[in-house]
Amino acid sequence: MAPIAVGSVIPDGTLAYLDDDNKPQTVSIHSLAAGKKVIIFGVPGAFTPTCSLKHVPGFIERAEELKGKGVDEIICISVNDPFVMNSWAKTFPENKHVKFLADGAAKYTNALGLELDLSDKGLGVRSKRFALLVEDLKVKVANVESAGEFTISSAEEIIKAL
Amino acid sequence: MGMLLCCLFPLDSIEWENLVMASATVNGGGCRLRVIRSVSAALGRRFYAKVATGTDIVSAAPNVSLQKARTWDEGVASKFSTTPLKHIFKDKKVVIFGLPGAYTGVCSNKHVPSYKENIDKFKAKGIDSVICVAVNDPYTMNAWAEKLQAKEAIDFYGDFDGSFHKSLDLVTDLSGALLGTRSERWSAYVVDGKIKALNVEEAPSDVKVSGADTILGQI
Repeated sequence: MAPIAVGSVIPDGTLAYLDDDNKPQTVSIHSLAAGKKVIIFGVPGAFTPTCSLKHVPGFIERAEELKGKGVDEIICISVNDPFVMNSWAKTFPENKHVKFLADGAAKYTNALGLELDLSDKGLGVRSKRFALLVEDLKVKVANVESAGEFTISSAEEIIKAL
Repeated sequence: MGMLLCCLFPLDSIEWENLVMASATVNGGGCRLRVIRSVSAALGRRFYAKVATGTDIVSAAPNVSLQKARTWDEGVASKFSTTPLKHIFKDKKVVIFGLPGAYTGVCSNKHVPSYKENIDKFKAKGIDSVICVAVNDPYTMNAWAEKLQAKEAIDFYGDFDGSFHKSLDLVTDLSGALLGTRSERWSAYVVDGKIKALNVEEAPSDVKVSGADTILGQI
């Protein structure tokens, strides 16, 4: 699949999470994003350093600022199962707004054309590092990082577009 | 025929009742095989397993490696090296247990603690290493092992693409729990690569036969 581009409508897909009773649930991306301004950012892996120490904290720290600029949802997705995502999310107790959603079989990541094979690192097929600004399902900004980099996909960069 | 089936499937009294009910519904030719299959289905037991007592675990999964639980930095430093099975099993007495998923309930609250709490008993019986393996990446396994404070007692390994468990036919579809293809819950006592004892749970949510107490009795 070609990578998602500015001007495209994001595909629908189901992502998973654990509810307050720790039961796995699913949610459709369109149900979260239709009629709204949302940021979707993708990370290669829960419990890996750039994701944990830089990418996620950036969005957590600037969440209020993003909300102030009209962003309704900030969604972090990764090719991990919902149990791992839930536990990883808990390592950020200061988080108030970022939703951690699991794309366990990489279906949604593949639909976005943003898959990345990290088998040689022991991770398998994962997501590229990216950040999208989506308004009523239309992609306004698509910042997709090259492998191993952390520059354009940060919260800092996407705020410039708001 | 009842005696033959009794030898194939060690049963408790409730299971024996189920067996009698299952065999009563079968008639005509091919009786014995059909009874075995229907009993197998009734009890939810695997009929064809790729590994059993006596199997050489390294030969059963040729060219398969596991990934030792590690931080990313440790991965970089080791050039993301993996551990071939023979390095784990050859000339060693190993107790290995597999489970559906890091950070899931039964795995975290019952299965791992069962082995962690009994580590001294395993050492006393001359076990070289107690190993926990799951279809997870090694970084997730590492973070989970640290959370459970179990890294000192147990060696955690990831089977990130499931190749180890698929080779041994110890996989199960847990898509219902949004986990995809995962490991069954199982345990084994392996000496110089040969399986001496193998226990596979019928239901992955149980720790009935795959806990430390059972395998300690089999060493």
